[in-house]
Amino acid sequence: MPLEILLVLVVGGIAGVTLLLHLTGRSRLRLLTSETASDQWLRHFPDDTVIDVTVAHDGHAALVRTETGAGLLWSFGADTVARHLLDFDRIDHPEGFEVQFHDFSTPRVIIHLDDTERRHWQHLMEPA
Amino acid sequence: MTDHVSFPDAVQWAVPFFIAAILAEFLWIAIKGRGGRYETRDAVTSLIMGAGNIASGFLLGFIAYAFFMWLWQITPLNLGTSIPVIILCFVLDDLRYYWVHRFGHRIRWVWASHVNHHSSQHYNLTTALRQTWTYTFTFMMVVRAPLILLGFHPAMVLFVGGLNLIYQFWIHTEAIGKMPRWFEAIMNTPSHHRAHHGRNPRYLDCNYAGVFIIWDRIFGTFVPEQEDDKVDYGLVHNIGTFNPLRVAFHEWVGIWKDASQPGLTVRQRLAYCFAPPGYSHDGSRDNSEQIKAKHLARHPEDRGTPGFDQLGAKPSAATTTKQA
Repeated sequence: MPLEILLVLVVGGIAGVTLLLHLTGRSRLRLLTSETASDQWLRHFPDDTVIDVTVAHDGHAALVRTETGAGLLWSFGADTVARHLLDFDRIDHPEGFEVQFHDFSTPRVIIHLDDTERRHWQHLMEPA
Repeated sequence: MTDHVSFPDAVQWAVPFFIAAILAEFLWIAIKGRGGRYETRDAVTSLIMGAGNIASGFLLGFIAYAFFMWLWQITPLNLGTSIPVIILCFVLDDLRYYWVHRFGHRIRWVWASHVNHHSSQHYNLTTALRQTWTYTFTFMMVVRAPLILLGFHPAMVLFVGGLNLIYQFWIHTEAIGKMPRWFEAIMNTPSHHRAHHGRNPRYLDCNYAGVFIIWDRIFGTFVPEQEDDKVDYGLVHNIGTFNPLRVAFHEWVGIWKDASQPGLTVRQRLAYCFAPPGYSHDGSRDNSEQIKAKHLARHPEDRGTPGFDQLGAKPSAATTTKQA
């Protein structure tokens, strides 16, 4: 296949699919509740025992306390990603916190919190 | 031995079909309200990975091709290019694919290339295109050497390899349930390959087939999809990025960080590179056998069921530590 045609097909195909998915509502982030956050945490870490879950008001992140320590679960597109809070930096962000994980595959996440939540989460995220 | 044998690049010619099939699958899901899920950034990442795979073929493909042509120069055998020879080459190359794919899940160096194909939590036709950019660095082209030394021309070997990949495109879908029983018995199907993409303990390290599922049945790695254990797609530790560069290289970075940490023996450094994924020198991570054993400790009722029937291992003390 001529390179020019291949290039047009690939670029046009990616652009077209992107537009189609976005315009049909496939860019929405997953919304979390306490129950779904707990279920999702156990999906990621089936050996854990969840003590309690604090869901951010925007429903896109949850702080999960387990018997082995705290962890963060957040919306990742239509799915979720979770990490134990073991090796991370918490940085103040105008909209809440930025958590950096020192992990090339999961570099950072921005947690959207209001002022009240911010203080509470800061307390919960401090090492025991 | 020199001659002029030419075969088309089947994967490039299949690109229009890929795009049309993705649109058709999306419409099917949208209209029927079942049969899979699409998410914008996930799909875009997969498509960019596919485009990058084609680009890496342009940039690095000459390395494998030069190696194959060198083998072709030294072999005294030439089976020609008749239709029966092409069919035989296709079947033997599929056996080659089974073993490369199995190595891809059991040797971390090769997993570093293949992991990106499993890094989506979705399973749709775009997932099929989420392909590696770094296959050349795994040196798995050596597994094709016997085919060329047996007298199959390199161009033919690459052609049937392309057909193999095109076959595998359509099985990356939830829109198709089960195929007829005879087909499921012989061929790789959406059902068999869904199980392969599962992160459930049951489905770890199973169904490596490309086209013919018979290889898994012969070599003892076949696990049928179970109605009572819905496939959970993705990695045991799912990644938190849609950035294609991070998707493509994250496991290579992980190997480097693990193998270069201070205080390890040479054996431990090599194990971080070549042992099965999940190896750690201090027992802080679990490999697939340990994950399955832990699952059976939580769910003893699953012992002896598909995916757990060959497992005798129990969790060791070293594996009870939480994985970082």
